[in-house]
Amino acid sequence: MKIALGLALIGILAASPAVAHDFTQVSIYLDHPMIEEAPPNAPVLGGYLSIQNMGDVDDRLIAIESPAAEKVEMHRSTVTDGIARMQPMAEGLLVPAGQTVWLDDGMHAMFVKPAQRYRVGDEVPATLVFEKAGRIDVTFKVEERTAGAGASHEGHGQ
Amino acid sequence: MTGLRRLRVVLWVLVAIAAAGAAFLAFGPRFAPANAGEAIYAKPFSLVNQDGAPVTQADFLGKPSAWFYGFTHCPDVCPTALAEMSAILEALGPDADKLQVVFVSVDPERDTPEIMKDYVEYFDARIDGLTGDLAQVSTMAQDRYIFFEKVPMEDGDYQMEHQASIQLVDAEGRFFGTLAAEESFDVRLAKIRRLIDEG
Repeated sequence: MKIALGLALIGILAASPAVAHDFTQVSIYLDHPMIEEAPPNAPVLGGYLSIQNMGDVDDRLIAIESPAAEKVEMHRSTVTDGIARMQPMAEGLLVPAGQTVWLDDGMHAMFVKPAQRYRVGDEVPATLVFEKAGRIDVTFKVEERTAGAGASHEGHGQ
Repeated sequence: MTGLRRLRVVLWVLVAIAAAGAAFLAFGPRFAPANAGEAIYAKPFSLVNQDGAPVTQADFLGKPSAWFYGFTHCPDVCPTALAEMSAILEALGPDADKLQVVFVSVDPERDTPEIMKDYVEYFDARIDGLTGDLAQVSTMAQDRYIFFEKVPMEDGDYQMEHQASIQLVDAEGRFFGTLAAEESFDVRLAKIRRLIDEG
């Protein structure tokens, strides 16, 4: 079931008065924002979601803010040659027109120094800041960590 | 006649060479990799566990073990590895007693024993969480061919790059194999069962 938690429609007026009636529509749907439950004093929490750009212009997720953590960083983590590495996504996350991208396996929102312990079922408020769509409030739901058979975030986009 | 005799001599010479070769293979020096079979996990170290109690290499010999090197400021790879080891301990049932699972912090400056205790016991109280002196952790990692490195971030914070695979070790402290992140749960479990049976 698709839950559209945030929908932003904004018209961007063209600079020239001659084409003042032209506008481009950006519509962003956010699907299944979730945080994996972590140990009681875990200094960081990993957040995931999928972002669908239904509009006809590319957009970019440039920041995530949350009152529930000291800061939220976007990271890309990789395992190359057996070594785990994590890099900040300095350019943000491009969401091309008409496409869905996942902040999921390999990419995550890292909630640094959470304000309290969050357990399965808790809700963590946050705001996603897009270059064009602007600020969209979302609620990350805390879910059980997937482990064992088929551990992955597959299916989160559905 | 002489041709046949010559052939017979040649054949006996060949038999002698083959016998000498076989003897050399059986009793001669072994051409194994320099560190294969070396008990790298029996090399000395001195750290503390999650209860703050001192531990050394001797505490982890005598039964097979599975080691993961990570840190708690790690939102995905480390908690996933620990959650999967916990799932493996569950799946082993009573056989879980035959295996030691150890999480070593490669970020001992931030990971105190108290933090390690809450962290590992959230996943499974049977997992040992080791931390302590950075120099000790570095020496241990070097002895065991484990990579880790501190990577500064722009805001003054830092991250750790580290070995992602779980290292399997036999009862004598010899490297036995690894569990890699991309393997299925069943493959990991089968490898652990083989470690318990053979290691």
